[in-house]
Amino acid sequence: MLFRRALLVSPLALLLQPAAAHGPTRQKVSEKITIAAPAAAVWARIGNFDALKDWHPAVAESAADKGNTEGSVRLVKLKGGGQLVESLESHNAAQMKYSYRAKDGGALPVTNYTSTISVVADGNQSVVEWRGAFYRGFPNNDPPPDQNDDAAVKAVTGVYQSGLAALKTLVERR
Amino acid sequence: MFAALLTAGCCAALLHAGAVAAAPFAYITNQASHDVSVVDLASNLVVATVPVGRSPAGVAVAGRTGRVFISNPDSKTISVIDMRQQRVVDTWDAGSGPVGIAVAADGARLFVADWYSNRLLVYDTLAARAAQPIAVGRAPAGVAVLGNGPTVFVAERDDDSVAVVDTSTQRVRSRVRVGSHPFALLHDSARQRVYALNVQSNDISVIDVQDLDRPVVLATVAVGKAPYGAALAAAGTLLYITNQHDDTVSVVDAVSLKLQRTLTGFGYPEGIAAHGDKVYVVNWMDDALSVLDAASGRLLATVATGRNSRGFGDFIGQLESTTP
Repeated sequence: MLFRRALLVSPLALLLQPAAAHGPTRQKVSEKITIAAPAAAVWARIGNFDALKDWHPAVAESAADKGNTEGSVRLVKLKGGGQLVESLESHNAAQMKYSYRAKDGGALPVTNYTSTISVVADGNQSVVEWRGAFYRGFPNNDPPPDQNDDAAVKAVTGVYQSGLAALKTLVERR
Repeated sequence: MFAALLTAGCCAALLHAGAVAAAPFAYITNQASHDVSVVDLASNLVVATVPVGRSPAGVAVAGRTGRVFISNPDSKTISVIDMRQQRVVDTWDAGSGPVGIAVAADGARLFVADWYSNRLLVYDTLAARAAQPIAVGRAPAGVAVLGNGPTVFVAERDDDSVAVVDTSTQRVRSRVRVGSHPFALLHDSARQRVYALNVQSNDISVIDVQDLDRPVVLATVAVGKAPYGAALAAAGTLLYITNQHDDTVSVVDAVSLKLQRTLTGFGYPEGIAAHGDKVYVVNWMDDALSVLDAASGRLLATVATGRNSRGFGDFIGQLESTTP
């Protein structure tokens, strides 16, 4: 569902992608959810880089080759087909957050994708924030509708919202 | 909307007559709302939101002439804002992808890096006329002017170099190799240096530019991930650097070039500028301007800006004269 655009990011598009900032403008998505559980309990569920498959409903596998060490590469295989290769940029258990980068467009219609997920205590509850920065899949002017800015934002928003909603259900279930 | 414009017009007229006109303003480009948030630094309030071109990124302020210049990469234009009226009074064509932008100290010349066509665009701001563009290296990004010119420094991102451009002869006078993918530049006039922020190698090249024919890298200072913006604060003693991918700000002693501290709690920090005893950091992810105490790095206030704020350039300035 969310990831099915996957293969529309053509190899040509990736070649043409300017390595950074200009042409298409950088987009962002930031989603938060409040969970009725202590932050440490929520972090215990999601804190490991390779734990994505245990809480995200669209993910079948998420093995990471070097665990939570910087540079660890996670291969995310989706239940609906398609995959993403993501590398761990930083992992901070004390601050309960980690950041990663997608090595290529993968199963999302985006490029140059970076993301951070964090847990912050709010009394007896906790707030999980998932945010990402990325460019649309199509690097040049006049993108097709499935590779424009809106498509990129919509796809990432879908991943975050469905993941956070499932996490909340999972943690709050007794 | 129209009422708001009228109100702004009325207050601008008042400001014109009074001493309040000398208050410094920050001009923050908002790439997703296609406008500029004008923040009065005396009150930390947004006093105007100025619609500009598409996806504004770069900003340069000429207090001497009361003009602010905004680069709009998606509409390929420069918006000219009048600081007295806080509205756009002119729009200029600007090549194929205007990004980095800087203005001479006297406000007479504007320099714009044209990302896709590898040129430095030059404008005579008083005549509102484009001069002959100057060929530079690949993916020109940050621009810094030495005083009133004619020397202009340009970061050539894809060549990993910084060019020293003589805009009177319209030629690159010299060039120095820096770290990987320099994007922003900052000129330090007191020390005759240029700092190049290397986005890929996560460090800063400190370039001695005393001899403009032989710029030399004096030191390379490691900072956080994806350094994007730089400002000199605390009377030029501290070099503040935003680290976009770490959500941090590095504070470097400008004399010893030692990292003094790393500040946390930012959201994709990009543009940064200093004024008086304060430093202002633009948070792209959070749509907010952080106001810091320059000496301690302590957060003093947060000002909400438009969407996807960037503020790429020296975004603070004040009118230096009350007569037009």
